[in-house]
Amino acid sequence: MIHFDRFKLDNGLTVLFHKDVTTPMAVVNVLYDVGARDESEEKTGFAHLFEHLMFGGSCNISDFDSPLQLAGGESNAFTSNDITNYYDVLPAINLETALWLESDRMLSLSFTPKSLEVQRNVVIEEFKQRYLNQPYGDVWLKLRPLAYKVHPYKWATIGKDISHIEEVQMDDVKSFFKKYYNPSNAILCVAGNFEAETVKSLVNKYFADIPGGIKPSRVLDAEPKQNEFRNQTIERNVPANAFYYAFKMPERRSEGYYMADLLSDILGRDKSSRLYVALKKEKQLCSEINAYITGSHDEGLLLISGKLNPDVNFEDLDIALWKVLRIVKESSISESELDRIKNKNRTSREFENQGILNRVMNLCHFELLGDANGINEEYKIYEAINANHIQEIAIEMLQPTNCSLLKVKAS
Amino acid sequence: MLNRSLQPELKSIDKIDFVTPRQFDITANTKLYFMKDVSDETSRLDLYFDAGTTIAKPVISSLVNGLLLSGTPQKTSIQINEEIDALGGFYESSVSHENAVVSIFALRENLLPILRIVADAIANVAFLDSEVKELISDRKQRFLVNMEKVSFIAQRQFQERIFANSTYGNILQTTDFDSISHQELRSFYTDNYLNGLQKVVVVGNVQQDKIDEIIDLVGAWSKPQQSTFPGQFSNLKGESHLVKEGALQTAIRVGRILFNKTHTDYCDFMVLNTILGDYFGSRLMSNIREDKGYTYGIGTLLGELHETGYFLIATEVGKDVKAATLLEIQREMFLLQSELVDAEELQLVKNYMIGQLLKSADGPYALTDLFLGVETFGLTLEFYNKSIDAINNITPERIQELANKYLKWEDMTVVSAG
Repeated sequence: MIHFDRFKLDNGLTVLFHKDVTTPMAVVNVLYDVGARDESEEKTGFAHLFEHLMFGGSCNISDFDSPLQLAGGESNAFTSNDITNYYDVLPAINLETALWLESDRMLSLSFTPKSLEVQRNVVIEEFKQRYLNQPYGDVWLKLRPLAYKVHPYKWATIGKDISHIEEVQMDDVKSFFKKYYNPSNAILCVAGNFEAETVKSLVNKYFADIPGGIKPSRVLDAEPKQNEFRNQTIERNVPANAFYYAFKMPERRSEGYYMADLLSDILGRDKSSRLYVALKKEKQLCSEINAYITGSHDEGLLLISGKLNPDVNFEDLDIALWKVLRIVKESSISESELDRIKNKNRTSREFENQGILNRVMNLCHFELLGDANGINEEYKIYEAINANHIQEIAIEMLQPTNCSLLKVKAS
Repeated sequence: MLNRSLQPELKSIDKIDFVTPRQFDITANTKLYFMKDVSDETSRLDLYFDAGTTIAKPVISSLVNGLLLSGTPQKTSIQINEEIDALGGFYESSVSHENAVVSIFALRENLLPILRIVADAIANVAFLDSEVKELISDRKQRFLVNMEKVSFIAQRQFQERIFANSTYGNILQTTDFDSISHQELRSFYTDNYLNGLQKVVVVGNVQQDKIDEIIDLVGAWSKPQQSTFPGQFSNLKGESHLVKEGALQTAIRVGRILFNKTHTDYCDFMVLNTILGDYFGSRLMSNIREDKGYTYGIGTLLGELHETGYFLIATEVGKDVKAATLLEIQREMFLLQSELVDAEELQLVKNYMIGQLLKSADGPYALTDLFLGVETFGLTLEFYNKSIDAINNITPERIQELANKYLKWEDMTVVSAG
C-alpha cells in the first residue's frame, strides 16, 4: 500500500505528499498536463522543445540546474505524446531549494533568445541521434501516420520533421507557456521523510501566489474507427528486414486497456510467450519478436515487432503470425498460462514501485488519470481479468482491419 | 513577501550511513554477500562467474553466456523459461571484460524456487546444435545492426586502441561468428561456469536457512583458485577516424589508460572528472551542449578494471562540427591545466558529489551495489568515508596539478566515426 496525502491550493494546483521514512533523499515531481498531442499539426515537436527551455532560466533565477546541484541534487524531465514530467532528486535537508526552483519556473520563464537558439540546436541533434542516425530509428516517424489519420498521435513527440523545430519563434514559446504552464494544469508531488504539515506550509510558501490560470480544455480530433488493413514498406540501409504490426487498442482509462496489456504479454513479452515460441523457437522465422503496448491515454497501439532471419520472407512470417493470432481468438487461454502472465505482471509492478522516484511519478500519473490511489488499485483490475476477457479483447483487436503494418526492407 | 531571487539556506550533509552486507564464505575464494534489510517483497540474486571476454575469444564468452538456459537433456529452453515465468521471475545475464553475471529478479517467496530451475539449467547445458545455431545467427544479426551505429563503431575502435596489445583490446569481428566449435563452447563453459563462480549476491528479506540452500545449490561451482588479471596496459595515442557513409552525426571517443579505486589519486581525480564532464553543469556540457548546441549530450567517465582503469570522454555531434568539438574538448582540458577552478564552481561540485553519494547509498539495492563497487578491489565501505573527506578537502591547486598530470591532450587516444 503506497500512502499519500492530497490537497489543492486556491490557484488550482493539485499537491500530493508521499511520506517515506527510509530515505535520506527527497523527490519533487511536477507533471504538466500537456504533451505532443496538444500541438498543432504545423508546429509539431514543440512540447518537447519546450521541456528543454524549462531549464534555461526562470523569471527570478537565471539558471535552473546550478542551485539544485549546489544543494546536492539533480534534475531531469521527459515529454510524451500525453504529458510532460519534471523531477528533482536531492538530499531531503535541502528540499526547499527544489520547491523554490520549480515554483519560479511555474511562475514564469526568462525567455532568453540564446536559450531558444541553443536548445533548438540541441533538439535537432537529439532528433538525429535518436531517430535519423540509428538503424530503424525512423520507424515511429512512419508508423504513427500510418496508424493514425486524424488524431495527433499521428506525429512523434520529437516532431514530424526537423523543419518544425527550426521554425519555432519566441512568440510560440511564450503563448505555449501561458496556456499550459500554470498551477491549474499541473500536479505536484513531494516525497521524503517529512511531516505533512511541513510540506504543506512549504508548498504554500512557494506556490500559493502563482496566478492560477485557466485549465486549458482539450478537444482533440477523434480518430475514426479503422476499417481497413494498412500496409507500407520502406527501404532502408539496414542489415535485416524488420516488421511492425500495430493494432489499435482501448484508451488508458478503460478496462479494455488492462486486458490488452495482458494480451500483449501473452503474445510476446517473455521467452515463453506465444509468438516467441511459435515464430522464433519452433519455426525459426525471426531473430527477435516482441509484443508491447504504447500505454497512450487516448486510443493506443499494441505492437508486434521483430526482425526476420536471413532468407525468410515477409509473407512466411505474416502467415505464421496470423495463425498464432487466430489461435488466441479461437480458443480460450488456460488458467496456468494466465496465472503465469499475472505473476510476471505482479513482479514487475513490485519492482517498478521499489524506488521512490518511480512511486512519485506513478502517483502523479494516476492522479492525472483521475485518482492517485489508482497506484494501489490497479492490481485488482489485473487480478479480475479472466480467460473470457482475454479472448474477447483478442477478437475485438486482432483483426486485419484494425492493423497497420510497416515493413522495413533491407536495401 | 517572498524574495524569489534568493536561494533558500542550504544545509550540508554531515554523515552518510553505509551498510555492509553480511558475508558468508562458500569457499576460501568464493563469498556470498547478503543484504537482508529490504522492506518490500522484491529480491535479487546475482551469480558472478570468471567468464569475461578477455580470457577467451570474445564471441565464445558471449555465446556461452547466452546459452546458459538453452536446454538440458531433460528440458527444452522453452520449458525452462516457462517455469521461471510461471513463478514471475526475471532472468538476466551479461558479460563484461572481467566477468559474467547472471541475475534473478523475483518476489522473495519465489527466489529459491527460481534459483533451483536456473541452477539445474546452468549445471546441465546440453549445447543442442539447434540452440547454438540459433544464437549465433541472432548475435550475428545484432552485431550487424550495431555496426550501423556510429557510437558502436567508435566505441569498438576505442576499445581496440585503449587496450592495445592486450586481450582487453580484442573486439568482435563479423567472421568470428562463422567458425565456432562446440568443443570451445563446452570447455569454456566447464572451466569458467562449472568451476568459475566468484561470488554470490543476495538482496531481499529471505530467511537465513534459504542462504544455506543457495550455497548448496551453487557452491559446487566455486572457482578453485583466485582469479588473476593482467596489469600492464598502454593506450595508442593520437587520432584515428572511421568513415561511415551517410551518417548524420559523428561519434567521438577520447581517453587514456588511468587507474581504479586502489590508486592514491583516484578520489581527487573524480572531482576533476566531475568538473570536466560528469554532471549536467560540467565544463563540457556547458560549453558543447548548452553554449554551442553541437550535441544532445557529452560526458566523461572513469571505467574501472581489476588492475587498471580508463578515462573516457564520449559524445555524438553534428557531422560538420567534429573538428570544432575536438578543439573545444582540448580547450577545456587545457583550461583546467592552466587556470585554477574558482571557489564557487568547486563548492557546487563538492556539494553535488556528496549529494549524489548520499543517493547512491539510498536503499538496500543501492547500498549493495556501492559495496560491490569496492569489494572487487579488496576495499571496504570505509573507502566512501575517505572519499567524502577527499571531496571536502580538495583545493583548486590540487585539481590543477591532476589536470596537468592526467589530462594532457598528447596522452589521449582520439577516435571518431561518422
